[in-house]
Parts: sequence; structure tokens; C-alpha cells
Amino acid sequence: MIELHGVSKTVPSGSGTLTILHPLDLTIQGGCVAAITGPSGSGKSTLLGLIAGLDSPSEGQIVIDGADITALGEDALARLRGTRIGFVFQFFHLLPSLTALENVLVPLEIAGGRGAARRADSLLAEVGLSERRHHYPSQLSGGEQQRVAIARALANDPPILLADEPTGNLDTATGHQVIELLLGINKTRKTTLILVTHDPELAAVADVTIALRDGRIIRNTTREAASIT
Amino acid sequence: MLFVVRMAARELRASWRRLLFFFICVAIGVGAIVALRSVIQSVRLGLMREARAMIAADVIVQTNRPWTAESREAVDKRLAAAPVLERTESVETTTMVRAEKGANVARMVELRAVETGFPFYGTLGLQSGRAYRHSVIENHGALVGPELLVQLGVAVGDRIVISGRPFEIRDVITQEPGRRVGAFTFGSRVIIDLKDLRETGLLTVGSRASNQILLRVRDDGVVPLTRRLREDLRDQFINARSYKALEDDIGEDLARAENYLSLVGFVIVVLGGIGVWSVTRVFVKQKIRSVAILKCVGATTRQVLATYVVQVVLLGLAGGLLGVALAQVGMMSIPASVAAALGGMTYGLTWSAVLQGVSVGLLVSLLFALVPLLEVRRIKPLLLLRGGESLPPPGAAARPRAGIKKTVVDFFRGLDWLQVGAAFLVTLGLVGVASWQAASLKAGAIVSIGFAVVAVVLYAASWVVVRAVMPLASTPWFPMRHAVLSLRRPGNQTRVILLAVGLGSFFVLGVRALQENLISEFSVEMDERGADMFLVDVQQDQVEGVRTLVRERQDKGAPEPRLVPTLRARVTGVRGRDVNLDSYADVRGRGSLAREYVITYRSNLERNEEITGGKFWDADTSSTGDNEVSIEQSIHERFDINVGDVMRFDVIGRTIEARVTSVRRVEWEDSRSGGFMFVFKPIALANAPHSFIGFVKGPSDPTARARFQHELVTRYPNVTAIDGREIIARIQAVVENVVRAVSIVGGVALFSGVLILIGAVAMTKFQRVYEAAILRTLGASTRTLGMMLALEYCALGLLAGLIGAAGAFGLSWAVTKHLFEIPWRPAPGLLAIGTLLTMVLVGTIGVLSSADVLRRKPLSTLRAE
Repeated sequence: MIELHGVSKTVPSGSGTLTILHPLDLTIQGGCVAAITGPSGSGKSTLLGLIAGLDSPSEGQIVIDGADITALGEDALARLRGTRIGFVFQFFHLLPSLTALENVLVPLEIAGGRGAARRADSLLAEVGLSERRHHYPSQLSGGEQQRVAIARALANDPPILLADEPTGNLDTATGHQVIELLLGINKTRKTTLILVTHDPELAAVADVTIALRDGRIIRNTTREAASIT
Repeated sequence: MLFVVRMAARELRASWRRLLFFFICVAIGVGAIVALRSVIQSVRLGLMREARAMIAADVIVQTNRPWTAESREAVDKRLAAAPVLERTESVETTTMVRAEKGANVARMVELRAVETGFPFYGTLGLQSGRAYRHSVIENHGALVGPELLVQLGVAVGDRIVISGRPFEIRDVITQEPGRRVGAFTFGSRVIIDLKDLRETGLLTVGSRASNQILLRVRDDGVVPLTRRLREDLRDQFINARSYKALEDDIGEDLARAENYLSLVGFVIVVLGGIGVWSVTRVFVKQKIRSVAILKCVGATTRQVLATYVVQVVLLGLAGGLLGVALAQVGMMSIPASVAAALGGMTYGLTWSAVLQGVSVGLLVSLLFALVPLLEVRRIKPLLLLRGGESLPPPGAAARPRAGIKKTVVDFFRGLDWLQVGAAFLVTLGLVGVASWQAASLKAGAIVSIGFAVVAVVLYAASWVVVRAVMPLASTPWFPMRHAVLSLRRPGNQTRVILLAVGLGSFFVLGVRALQENLISEFSVEMDERGADMFLVDVQQDQVEGVRTLVRERQDKGAPEPRLVPTLRARVTGVRGRDVNLDSYADVRGRGSLAREYVITYRSNLERNEEITGGKFWDADTSSTGDNEVSIEQSIHERFDINVGDVMRFDVIGRTIEARVTSVRRVEWEDSRSGGFMFVFKPIALANAPHSFIGFVKGPSDPTARARFQHELVTRYPNVTAIDGREIIARIQAVVENVVRAVSIVGGVALFSGVLILIGAVAMTKFQRVYEAAILRTLGASTRTLGMMLALEYCALGLLAGLIGAAGAFGLSWAVTKHLFEIPWRPAPGLLAIGTLLTMVLVGTIGVLSSADVLRRKPLSTLRAE
């Protein structure tokens, strides 16, 4: 379960400060699909970044499965991401100097443990890219790169998968395939999936939809597994 | 750890091309260290192995005075008490030699006369291939150096005349223990039998000869015997040295040379280090996104940092090994002639040199890469969401403040203290490495501080000049405007290029400026009116004859020959106001006052002399009255000897007391009139046996010159004519060799500078390619873009050249004034040409290595972005 208590984010701007997120409370139950929507500049990505521990809130607390991550240092957060949180980006962000297989291997190797190569192979098979495992990112299409990114995000079997506009840089057909893949993972692995999206179709299949505007939650829709306090 | 190693290997696979300059920079420095150390170590090992052969004995007892019954007895007494296995005698002197028949010339030679048994160690190689035995030279036989055959136009079997006696050339010397081909000598070697030399009458009173007793001694007796002889016989002008002391001297001298030359290598490595720093800085900028991704998927800062440190270590090692290979190639390409000049040794890489070179390369890579690598800590994974590709400045959250005090506070807040600490550690590390290389903390610190000063000066110079040219940024000429702006663009390489190329051109121009100074100094010494021939050992009864002969053979209008009486003396006591030295032992306590001086007497001052205290005797009364002596200013200053003091001298065995009546200052730079520490009133010495030195302007035509020397030697066989022109030609050749060697080192430094320049250009290319694409889209032509690049790099080159020239100017001034003590001549033409060449070089290389910027199609670049 992910809980946010009074979380806000401000940044210095010129002579004053700029508020990106006003204090908000939010609880997302484990295993559900949550969609964060809103126009550009509404604070979607910031919220996702805070949940992933990529940034720290100016105020408030973020608790994941009972552990307060706001108190953690940079390296502890990195370890948390390595084992408990997978992240998928709009621009894929694969390491250009590594092959598809090696990109998937990275989080496995960081976490240590045995059987990394076998696990990476099976993940690539799961996303349908066994044949392309020795290709470099520049030799893959956008959809393929995103599937490698998803395989990489799943490498350590994290209970939480975060995706920042995962279809934003793909054509409609490829976008569909990626959504299918992500939802499939949520179903089979019971992974909590939190998506930032502009895509109403994608938002519609989510258990929870959190709509942001100007750094505030203006609406949430709960289907069954999510509740907002 | 496994992750770190794997990741480093994968990253290297992709980025080694971009880091190519990294390891080339390291390789050149390491190559320089390894090659320099290896050569000197080889020479040292070789020489030490040959130490016995070099003095041809275990112990050599030597005196510049003829053996007297007394001195012989003193030596014999000590030898009798030591485990001496064998002894032989030898005399070395310089003299003139002419052919009995053949060319009408005479040459000065270094004559060595030996007895049976010589040499105890080493081989005297003969051209005929037969082994040397004393019988080869017995009964007026001579062995000669190969060059003498050519000079005199003689062959083996012909006869040469030494001091009026004919000697038959029995063979040609190809190798002599202790004498190296190409080393500085006064003339060719001639070896004859000592018995025959004694018959020639060359060994007259006052002649310059080194009389030696060579000993073969049981190994355990070498050191005690040498020490005993030295201690007991010092007062009698007898010196003893052993091959072991020679070994130690060679060892020490060469170790010092090795360490200082390695510092030169270190300077090149540091230049490489600057390249490493610049490459790493840009590399980290290019890797921001990758680092963010790694952090996003769970890598800790330490793991990421370790990944890049491992890469640096691998590259540093690769660079080091490449450097070792370069050194090997360099050693193999040492020309045979140079190898012969250095003693005909075989050169090879030595393990210690390789180990030192590679470790220094590795250390310097790490030290220089550390500070830019620490930037990795500041990369936040969040930028993947924000799309930013630049590093947040340290302390970015702090708001800018107004006022100087607040600016200073903000400046300190803005510092990354870990980086500052690392920079401090790096500095300490560099001082450590430099001290290790020089084997002296002081030398290491001086070099490091020198470097820091140069770096600060170059940094300040680039700051000043970039601001000075900034007004040009508002010029209406587009290429100029953008070229100027490029010098200041964020992430510019201006300082790196200035530092690297500026240092390189400083090296090369500095050495050339010095060379120009030295060479013009020699040509002044040899001006048309000055003496260019020196006659040594002219006897009292020969003075008039020699003077007449010189006058007859001289060119018209040449200055009068001057013949100056000379004697050798040492101070054995002083009774004075400030200093009282009763015995020679007391004098010895005053250091160099105890050495043997060449003295003269005359009734007048020379034109290069000036009285600074007391009064010089009158010419009219100089042959009457008490003994008087005039001392040189430095003797007065160093030993507190004043006007009125009485000095006691030992002049070839005779004790003479003289009162100091004046202190003279000698203008040593004008040494054509000769310079003497002690000048006596004629009354004191005129009756003592002595010889004369002649300062003569010889005929300017080379044939007439040779004929004159021949005639002189035929008439006065004991007189030696030193041809100043020849000596200066030889000195010039030695200077040229040194200059060549230093120029090679300077060239390597400049080459490193050029490589760093290419590296710097290549590293910032991605930025330029993007800018060029945008400018092209906006309508800029290839010509405009090319002009921009050319202007930018020419400006950089001009500045680097100016900095190098200014440094060279300072260096040549300091070295000529304080080290060589010769008048300084600025070399404006040389420095101007050097500056221009640097500008052209940097401009050309800058434009050529940016060719890609001009060739790329804008669309592909913009799409890729």
C-alpha cells in the first residue's frame, strides 16, 4: 500500500518559490491500477517522481508498505527502487551503449543474486523480444525499446510499477500493445501499476483515476480497489 | 563489485573511441618517463659495470706536479703497507703533434704515456685486431685515434713528431677504457711508452701533466688504501680515487639525472593529466542521462562512481601499457651514433622504469579524473522525468543575493566541499608523485608549485583575454561575433587549450631562445679582434721567439700577441685583520681557498680589471721593494682577506710571503684579457721558474692557420696551441646535442599539447555540430561556419603562443642571467615567429578536427537531438 500524507513540492523560482504540488493526501491499495491524469504542468510527473523516490517532498510523508521513504537517503532510495519499484519512461531511457539483454541485466546485477542472465532472457521472452536481445537501443523501434524498458522495470519482480506516459511517444497500435502488456503484468503478477497518462482510453481501464490541476487533486474515481481519503 | 566491473567493461566497449585521447594523453607521458628512466638506468648500469675499466685500475694515485723523491717515498711507504698486487705508471698531458712527412699541419692531442701492465682492466681495442701489449708501443711507437690519421694525412707505419721526437704509428685505437666516443676532448688520443715520453723533454717544470700511479689491489684493501692515501697526502697535492668511489659518483650523478629527467616526463604526464581532466569533464556531461538511468534502476552513487573509476583505471593502465610500447619503439629508434656517443651501450626497457611509468600514469589518470567524476554525485534520476540534461549547480537551491559580502557568502555556499576537498587531495597527490619522481620533496614541491603558478597565470590570462576580446562580440561581422562568443560558451575548452598548448610552446620557444643566446654568446667570444688561439707552456726563453713568429704570421692589423707568465700556487697561510690561518691545514678548513690557483705577475692592470680597495703598485717600482699581491674581489668577500693582510703561498715548492695591497674586481665576461685571482708584483716571482700562456689572434685563413701551428710546433715542440675556433666548434656541437635532446622533450610536450587540443575539440564537437545545424537552418553558409571556427582557433592559438613566448622570454632571461651568467639577448624575431606558428598550428588543427561540424547535414543532427 502507498500512502501520501500532506505531501507538497515547492521549488525556488527567481526571487520567490513556485508550488508544484499543494499538500495532498492519497492512498493507493496494493495490486490496483491507478491512473494520474491532468494537463501539462499540473504536477503529474512530480507526483510520480515523489512516489518513486526520485525526488523528495518539501513537506509531508510518503509511506510504502508501512515504511516512510521520505526519511531515506539517496542510496537507500536507490536500493528501494532497485528492489521494490519498477519505472517506465515516456522516452524509454535505455542505456544506449548496452544491448537489450544487458539493459535488462543492469538492475539484476545491481541487486546481486544468481541466475541474472536466465531471468533477463525470460523477461525478454515475456515481452516478446527474445530474438532482439543482442540489439542496441538504436537498432530497435520505439515500441520495442519500450518493451525492453518494461522488461527492465520488472527485472527484480517489484511489487510496484510506475509508468510516466508509457505510450506518449508511440503510435496508436504500438501504444495498445504496450498497454496490454502492462495490464497483463498487473493481472498476472498482482503488481501495483501507477500510470501518468493523457490517454483517456488508458485512464478508463484504471481502478483509480486521480485528476490533477495546478498541483491539486480535483477529482478521483474509484472503481473498487482504491480509496481516497 | 561484479556489477561495477561488468558495467565498466560494457561502458568502455561503447565509449573507448571517445576516450581514446584519454589514454593517448597518458601514454605519451608514461612513454616519456619509461624511456628517459630506462636510457639512464642502462647507461648507469653499463658505466658502473665498467667503472674499473674506466680508471683501468682499482686505485689511481694522481698528482698534477712532477713526482719528487719526497712525494714518491710518501706514496711508496703507504703502498708497501697495503695489499697491492701490481702497479704501473702513466702520464697524461696535452701536446702538439705533427706529421714527419705529409700535410703541413699540427694538431693538439691528448697524450697518454704508459708502462707495462696498462691497462689492468678494460680493453685497449686496436684496428688491426691484435691484442694490445706493451711491446706494441715500445721503442718510439705510438697508437693514435682514427681522426688524427685524417687530420695529419698519415697512415699506420708513418711517423709523427711529438716534442721534436719521431714516433712510428703502430696501430689505431678503436676503444680505450674510460674514454667515450663523442665525449668532449681537447684532441685526438695518442698513446706512447712512458719511457719515450721522459726522453722528449715535454715534462718540464710547470708543464701541465697528470702523473698517475695505477694500482691493482686486493678487493678488501681498495677502500682503506684510498682513504689513507687521500688523508695523508692531500697536503702534497696528491689525490687518490678508487673504482668504487667512481661507481658511487656515477651512481649518484646518474640517479640525480634520472630523477630530474623523470620530472620532465612527469611534466608531460601532467600535461596528459590535463587532457584526462578535460576529457573526463566532457565525458561526464555526456553520461548524465546514463547515470540518471542507473540511479533510477537502483544503482547507488557509490556504485556509479565506482563504475567510472574502474573505467579510468582500465584506461590509465591501457594508456600506461601503450606508453611502454611507445618507449620501446623510441628506444629502438635511438640512432646508432647517439648510442655510441652515450657509450655504445645496449638500451632496453628496465622493469623499474616500466613499473614507475605505469604507476605514475595510473595515479595521474586517477587524480585528474577524480574531481570531474565527483560531478556524478549531483546527477539526480529525476532529470529523466524533467528532460533536463545539465547538472544542477551545487547549492542550487540558494537564492542569489545582492551585495559583495552576500556574493562571497553565496560563492562559498555554492562550493561543492567534497570536490574542493578532492581537489586539495589531488594537489597533495601530485606533489607526492612529483617528489617521488624527483626523489626529493623539495624538487617535487617546486615543480608542482611551478605548475600551479603557470596554471593560475594561464587561467588568469585566459580570463583577461576572453574579457578583452568580448567587445568584439558586438562587431557586425557575423563570423567574428560568433567566434568570440564561442570562447565563452558554457563548457568551453578555452582554458584547457591555453594551458596545454601554452605550456608546449613555452617549452619549445624557451629552449630555442636559450640556444640562440648561447650561440650568440660564443660568436661574440670569437669576435674579429679577439684572441682565438691560446699557447700553453711557452718557456721563458721561448717568449721572444714565439712573439716574433706570431707577429710574422698574423693577418695585417691583428692585435699584438700577449704572453702572460703563469705559475701554480696554493695558499698556505694568512695573517690578517679578520682571519688568521697558520698552516695549510687551517687553510683547508676554509674550503676552496685551499685549492691550487694559477697565478701571474705584472706591473699594470688589465682593461677588464678595476681596483675596489687599496692601491695597485706603480709600474716603475714594480721590480723593487717588498712582495705584494693583489687579490680578486671574491677572495676578499668570501674569505675576509683584506688590504694589509699577509698571505703565504707555496709556489711550486717555494714559500713566498706577500702583503695584500689591493683588491681588484675582474670582469670575467671579458675573459680575453685573462682573469686571475692573485696577481703578484713582478719582484716576487720574476725569478721563479715559470711558463707563459699566449693570447694570440691567429691567421684567419684555415690553411695559414694550420701552417702556423705546424711551424710553431716544429720550432717549439713543447708549446701547445689550443685553437679556440676548434674548441668553440666542439662546444657548439655539444650545445647542439643538448639543444636537440631538450627540443625533443619540448616537441613531445608540444605534441601532447596538440593532442589535448584535438581531444578538447573532439569533445566539444557534439555541441558545435548542434549549433552549426541550427545556424545552417537559419541560413549560415559553410564558408561562414568555417570562418567562425578558424577565427576562434586562431585567437586561441595566438593567445597560447603569446603566453608561451612570454614564458620563454622570462626563462631565457633567468637562465642566461643566473645560471650561465652571460649577457641576455631577447630573441624577438624567434618569439614572434614562434607565436605565429602556434597560431597557425592551433588554427589548422582546430578547423581540421572540426571538419565534421562543417560536413554534417543539419537535418540528421536535429533529428538525432
